[in-house]
Amino acid sequence: MPSVSEARLESVLGTAVDGIVVMDERARILLFNKACETLFGYSAEEVRGRNVKVLMPADYAHAHDGYVHNYLETGEKRIIGIGREVRGMHRDGTEFPIELSVGEAATPEGRQFIGIIRDLRQRKAVERRLAEAQAQLVSMTRISALDEMGAAIAHELNQPLTAIMLYLQAAKRKVGDDHRDTKLIEIVDKGVREAERASQIIQRMRRFVEKRDPERRPVCVSRLVGECLELVTLGIDCRDVEIVNEVGEDLPDLSVDPVQIQQILVNLIRNALDAVRQAPVKRVGITAAAAGEDMLIRITDSGGGVPAEVVPTLFRAFSGAKKGGLGLGLTISRSIAQNHGGDLAVEPNGGEGGAAFVLRLPVVTPPRDGQADAPPGRRGQTA
Amino acid sequence: MTIHIVEDDPGVGDSLAMLLREIGHQVEVYPDAESFFEHTPPGPQDTVIVDLVLPGVSGVQLIRWLARLATPPRLIAISGQSRRAIDDLFGNDLPPVLLRKPLTEESLVALL
Repeated sequence: MPSVSEARLESVLGTAVDGIVVMDERARILLFNKACETLFGYSAEEVRGRNVKVLMPADYAHAHDGYVHNYLETGEKRIIGIGREVRGMHRDGTEFPIELSVGEAATPEGRQFIGIIRDLRQRKAVERRLAEAQAQLVSMTRISALDEMGAAIAHELNQPLTAIMLYLQAAKRKVGDDHRDTKLIEIVDKGVREAERASQIIQRMRRFVEKRDPERRPVCVSRLVGECLELVTLGIDCRDVEIVNEVGEDLPDLSVDPVQIQQILVNLIRNALDAVRQAPVKRVGITAAAAGEDMLIRITDSGGGVPAEVVPTLFRAFSGAKKGGLGLGLTISRSIAQNHGGDLAVEPNGGEGGAAFVLRLPVVTPPRDGQADAPPGRRGQTA
Repeated sequence: MTIHIVEDDPGVGDSLAMLLREIGHQVEVYPDAESFFEHTPPGPQDTVIVDLVLPGVSGVQLIRWLARLATPPRLIAISGQSRRAIDDLFGNDLPPVLLRKPLTEESLVALL
């Protein structure tokens, strides 16, 4: 019969999730628990009395005697009471990452060392998946950004170009009517031709981008927002930011291309987190509300807000005040929203005291039945 | 008859109005649908040119409303978006006559 304390120890060792190894001053294994058997592929009987080096890859094994010797000579602690991330070696030669903590006990049989071993493979795998997901997000955003940059520039240039052509054509009419100044008419004609040339370039660009029109399908807004929050907060340190997601489950589905809208939301949430980084109150809020045939998604932050002088050009390409960017994020976001028949607007001083961005997107509409013909602007707008 | 232009880009609105006035039309420009609603609704002999992307009430909503009037005006949509995106916007409704930006005098005159 084992004594009570022996039985208790036996049960502790047997049930421990972490591997536990006890060795003596000469690094011989005295004790090897169940978790270790699974971890290293040896049974306790097989390793009892052998040097712990059997559990280590060659480089550690080679140096281990020196470590033990050094500690016993000088008392200088390199691992005892500290814990380290090292590699273990399975019986089949596979190396794997472990976290090793070592304790020391003085016993009647001399000094003994207790190693507690935690398998890090799962954590490493999670870390790797995280890194992969982030890399994927970055490259997805980049490819899509190139596309969207084309669309944004085409859209931005289209407006002034339209105005230029119309002004020139108006000028030509005026000149033609009043003065019959053939030289001037010729100059204006040449101006119109050049503007048309520019417009053809834009149309070509647009045709290229149009191949990637949004692929719309019904999308659950709360799930979409949830996924975006997860993507953004993955890996970056925003524990001190209070993120309030108030998007309800019972909202109508959006009729959008989820990948493109995800891009907008990720961009807006990132901006919001950036905006509160230095703020005394760090809060980011997300709400969604249906308004007629649209959904309004509001992303608010408690940051410094958008300076009044920046607001008029905020969505214009290459106007970004942010360092290290082209200032295309918001331009692209707005162009995506508009391509969906929605829009993106800013309230410089929104609900949380900082900025509020309002993303308007179409919801899935049931087949129409002749509704009351009131002007849409007067039908109890909630926006 | 009057041509009403609902266009939020001031350059586009102003140049379009200037050209149409040169051609000899009576023209009114509104920066958004809301300010258009403040005026008397257009008659059947009028034309309304609507930019599909407007702040607030969208151009699509405005066109739907105008199309359901008892005597609707002639409707022309202008947009920089793709034809497919625009058809999507109108869903079950028939999309109106559409001019894509940049506009040219020929395409405009052909419609008026």
